[in-house]
Parts: sequence; C-alpha cells; structure tokens
Amino acid sequence: MTDMTPAISSKHRFSAVWIIPLLAALIGIWMVIHTLMNEGPTITIEFHTAEGLEAGKTKVRLLDVDIGLVEEVTLKHDLSGVVAKVKLTLQAKPLLREDTRFWVVRARVGAGSVSGLGTILSGAYIEMSPGESETRKLAYIGLELPPVTPVGAPGLRLQVFSDRAGSLSTGDAVLFRGYEVGRVEAVSFDTDQRKVRFDIFIDAPFDQLVSSNSRFWDSSGIHINASASGLDVKMGSLDTILLGGMAFDRPPALPEGEPATNGDVFNLYQSYDDILQNPYRHGTYFVVSFKQSLRGLNPGAPVEYRGIRIGRVERIMTKEIARQGVTGRGDPIPVLLYIEPGRIDIPDTQVAVQQMQAMIETGVSRGLRATLQTGSLITGQQLIYIDYFEDVEPAEVSTFANHIEIPTIETGIGRLETQVGSFLEKLNTLPLNQTVANANSTIRSAQETLESVNRLLNNQGIQNLPTELTATLADLQQTLDGFSQGGAMYQDLRSSMRLLESTIENLEALSNQLSANPNALIFPTRIQEDPQPEANR
Amino acid sequence: MTTPVTAFSKGLASCHVCLKLAPVEQHYCPRCGEALHARKPDSLQRTMALLITASILYVPANILPIMIHDQLGTSEPSTILGGVILLIELGSIPVALVIFIASVMVPLGKLFTMFYLCWSLRHGPPGSERQRTVMYRITEFIGKWSMVDVFVVAILVALVQLGGLIAFRPGAAALAFAGVVIVTMIAAESFDPRLMWDMSAKNRNNHD
Repeated sequence: MTDMTPAISSKHRFSAVWIIPLLAALIGIWMVIHTLMNEGPTITIEFHTAEGLEAGKTKVRLLDVDIGLVEEVTLKHDLSGVVAKVKLTLQAKPLLREDTRFWVVRARVGAGSVSGLGTILSGAYIEMSPGESETRKLAYIGLELPPVTPVGAPGLRLQVFSDRAGSLSTGDAVLFRGYEVGRVEAVSFDTDQRKVRFDIFIDAPFDQLVSSNSRFWDSSGIHINASASGLDVKMGSLDTILLGGMAFDRPPALPEGEPATNGDVFNLYQSYDDILQNPYRHGTYFVVSFKQSLRGLNPGAPVEYRGIRIGRVERIMTKEIARQGVTGRGDPIPVLLYIEPGRIDIPDTQVAVQQMQAMIETGVSRGLRATLQTGSLITGQQLIYIDYFEDVEPAEVSTFANHIEIPTIETGIGRLETQVGSFLEKLNTLPLNQTVANANSTIRSAQETLESVNRLLNNQGIQNLPTELTATLADLQQTLDGFSQGGAMYQDLRSSMRLLESTIENLEALSNQLSANPNALIFPTRIQEDPQPEANR
Repeated sequence: MTTPVTAFSKGLASCHVCLKLAPVEQHYCPRCGEALHARKPDSLQRTMALLITASILYVPANILPIMIHDQLGTSEPSTILGGVILLIELGSIPVALVIFIASVMVPLGKLFTMFYLCWSLRHGPPGSERQRTVMYRITEFIGKWSMVDVFVVAILVALVQLGGLIAFRPGAAALAFAGVVIVTMIAAESFDPRLMWDMSAKNRNNHD
C-alpha cells in the first residue's frame, strides 16, 4: 500500500492545467470590460411613422458608416408617432448636440431626384447629420424629409413670401442669372399672413449677391406674352421649366442696396416683368372715394401726381361698401390706391413711406385732391390724378378701412358742366348786335343786285329774241327739204351711186383674175377642166 | 464483499499508449518507453480546470453571433438560440430540434454530467459506480456530435460566397463554441473513471 502515497499527495499539488480556465476567465472579463467601455449612448428619436424601422436591424449611419442600431421601436403614449430607442457607438457620442438631426432614409422618388434606392433591398436606415451646438441632448425629434442643407453650411437663410405656391417645392433651385446659387429648404403656409412661406438657403460665396434691393421671382415654367410688339417667350433653365425654381436679381432701376442678413424677408413676384413694373418694396395704401362712374378704372391703373406715376389702383373697395352697409343715398365708392415713394426717387424705405403719409396729410389742407381723369379717349381708361387744386372746398383727411382717405373733387361730367358754363359765358360777351347789323347791310346790297338783274331781263330786245330764233330755224328746214326722198336732187344722187357701184364690181373681177393669173394681161386665159371622180387604185 | 483484485493493488500500471501492464517501479513502459502512471496524473484537477474553461467559453458561445449573414450590404448576425428560434418560426422543426439538441442540450448535458462525475468521486452515493460509468461512456461517445453547429457554419461559409450578394461569415461564437466542444472532449478524456472504483474500494476498506 506504500504505492498509494504518491497518488494521494499529487492531489494537493497545484496543476498547471488551471492556467487554461484562468486564461479563459481573463479573456472573458476583458471582453466584458471592453464592451462596457465601448458602450455608446442610448438616445430616443421620435418619428411620425415606423415605416422601415425594425428593432435590432435598422442601422444609424453617418456618411454611410454604421454608428448605431435601433434597439426598440415603441408607440408614443398619445399615438401621435413612434419612438425609436437607438444605441449608438462610442464614437458617435461627441456628435450628439442640440442641433443634431436624424431622418429615415428610404427610397424616395421625387420630380427632381431619386434617392435611397439602395434601401429598397437593404431596408431603410436612419441618417444622422451631426450638430455643432454646445449643448448635448439625448432625445430627438426625427425629420420627415432629409434636410436640404447640412448643419453649419456657410450661407444665408432667407424667407420669401408669396401669394401662390406655384410649382415651387422643397429642394428647388434658387437661381441667379440662370446659375444655381441656393435652394428652397422648406415650404410652409403662414396662416397669419395668408401667404406661402419659402425658406431658402443661399450658398456661401453667393450670399453677397443678395441685397435689400434684390427681388425674387418665380422662374418656373414658360412665360409667353403676346402683344402688339410681338410674341415674347421667357423661360429659365430646363430644370426650372420641369421642376420649378426661384430666381433673384436686382432690377436695373434700383441702387445696390444693403447686403442681406439671415432671416430677411422678401416677396416673391410672379414674373420678372412683374418686378420691372413694381420694383419697389415699400409702399402704402390710400383711399379715394368718387361719386362719379368708375367705368374704365381698372386695378393696376396708374396713380399720377402731375403726370408722374406714383402708384397704382389696387382695387375698388366694393366689399367694404357692402360691409359698411349701403345707405341708399348714393354714397361715394372708395378706391384703394397703392403708392410707392420709390417711384419718385424718395428712398425705398418704410421711413419714407411714413414721411409721404405725413406729406399727404398736410397737403390736403393746402388743396391736394384726387381726381378721376380719362387716360385714353378711345378705350375709356381712367386714372387717378393727384394734384393741388385752387378754389376747392376745404376738406380734412379722414380714414376709411384703416387707410388714409384723400379727399376728391369731381371731374369728368362734373367738370364738363363747368367748362360748358364758361363757354357760354364767353358766348355772352360776343358783339352779336354789330354782327347782325353787318349781315343786314350785306343782305340789302344782295337784294339790290338781284333787282338790277331783273330790270335787265325786262328789256325789249331780250323780249324779241325768241321770235327771231324761230324764223331762222324755219329757213333751215326749207333748205333741208330739197334733200328729201322725193326731191330731184335725191334722184340724181341715187343714179350716180348705182353707176359707181357697177363700175367697182367690174374692177373687182379684173383684179381677182389678175391676182390669180398675173400673166393674163399678156397671154390668153386657159379655162381649167372639171375634175373627174376616180376609183381607188 | 471481498476487495476485487486490481492491477493497481498488485503494483502494476497500464501503459497509456500500448496498454502493456508493467510494474510502476519501472517508471517507463518496457515496451514503448512511455512514462508509467498507475492512474492518469492529476485527472480530477485537469478535468475540473477544463470543465470550468468550457463553462466560461459557453457564455460567449451563446451570446455572440455564431454566424454573420451578409445580404446586399446588410449584415445580419445570428446567435445559436436565435437560429433555432428562426428555424421554428420558419416551420423547420426537425432541423431546429437537431440543432437544439446538438448545440445546446449536448454541450450542457456533458458539462453537467462531467461536473457531477467529478463531484461524485468524493460525495457520490456508494454503489452507483456502474451507473456512473455508463454515464461517462455516453458522455464520451456523444461529445463529438456537438460539433454539428460548428460544421454547419464551416460548410455554409465555404459554400455560400456569392460576392456582395449573399455571404456567410463565422462569428466570434463559432470559435468559442468549438472551444467548448474541444475542451469538454479533452476534459472527458482526462477523466479517469477508474478513480470511481478506487474511491468505492477505499470507502469499503475504511468501513471494514
């Protein structure tokens, strides 16, 4: 049994084999620590819909590098959307800022672009646009559409308001003389202003092109204008025809202007011609009321001050009349005018507009009145004419529908009456009596002349003239009677004529023979035989 | 009960290589020159160490993906249990059963059996040696079959390589799982079932 001893003692010896589990355990622990160390932050992103999002499958990518995974997709409490819980890698941690943006990349087929086709096969993923803000954040609201411009791109963000959306949509180009310098970032509707709002972004070197005097217009599609001067077709690049676009430029009539700053507001004109006609940004409304007929006064009709155009007729305020109630006493009809100080070289600013308002208010007390004038006698177009008039009843500036009302004086028919009156007055002062006396003496001398003519006609010689004429005519008749059918003269003439006729006949026969046979004069005439009928040979 | 006559009690040891019975005093096998041991040296310790290694390896083998499936640029990792669940969902229950038995039940069963055998050397109920030997035999036999999962991965990786379209890559768990299988096989190999009989003989002697 002594042999048992080594076997028992060996059990207390520490075998080298224990290194193996120790190593395995160490590697295991190291792996766990490594994983924990590389554990990235977990964030939540809200989306409207979980379309394409799959827990455990959908990746989060930045520049096509996987930086995270959607771990869980749950519904929001109020069912207004979904919340995706996303585990990001450690390297994505410094990218999570206040303005970091997330959106789902799916296959999108738009008019202008086709994107994310790869996701049809591989499934959607969440794209991230890193932020630059100082503050950190762990809960985000995802964008529904990919952002057009990355965060921090240098450039200028502007707002452009329009009455109509037209064919402009997110991503459309903003052109400067046909070159793309920016794009429409968002289109929304401003319910307060009842206008479509375009948020546009102008890329960095081109933001200098935008000034306070820049004007934006919708360059989509083709503008065709047929007029007496011919057919005028205007169009932008093919892109803007098909997809729409916005262009801007400084109208040649305007000075350089101040450089634009972020958030500046502009209006969108419907066409470039619109801008040329209305290149001014600031203006104000006035009201004028007329008791006359407004036939021929159309919206857009000129408003002139001593023949210089200072604005246009906006519209005839028929709605406001109805709202105020018709009194049935033939109330004057208000007309809304839009007057722009920029048109008469006053600076195109809001301050100038206020100055002009004040100017008009003081002007009214000095006789500034608006009148209705006929611009064209043929078409009957009317215009509003503002000027200082003398001898007008004093009037005061009032307001109508929150606009300053300029008092008016009557023109047209009203004015015609005064003109006719003055004409008649002039007529009254004419020396009519003297004229009539002159006329009387003229008539008298004419009468005398006629009387002397009458006396001449009553003379004896002139009375006998018809009898003498009759005798002469009878003599003439007698002479002619000698040549009548039964007269001797007639018979002689007749026989002579017959003789002459037979002589001429003989002469004719001779001349015929001579022309056929010229030698008949010398040789005797041979008589030709009659032709005999023959049979066919 | 009389103590059975064993080679060990006669001071003889069987050579590990050529199984020649030779006196232990000689230290080396007279036939092949291999070192002679009455029993496998440090059998219990080695077995225990390897079993613990296998247990540690078993954790990443099940947590990490065993296979990564690249399809059109999207890589989709799958774990062993995930694969089984996927197969059940797809309706291939027999295949799922095979993989579940080969990859989950067998390695686990082996680990537990081996732990039990090691523990029973000291604390096992007396008289159950025959039963425990059967357990050992089964464990030893069945051990190699748990490599099925590793083989599946190896075959798929070798066969399905259609460039960027579809491709399979082995995950980290494949290595760990192969480690589990190999380590448990070595553990079973290093376990000396004769120790069970030695223990029962010793117990009996102590009782006598």
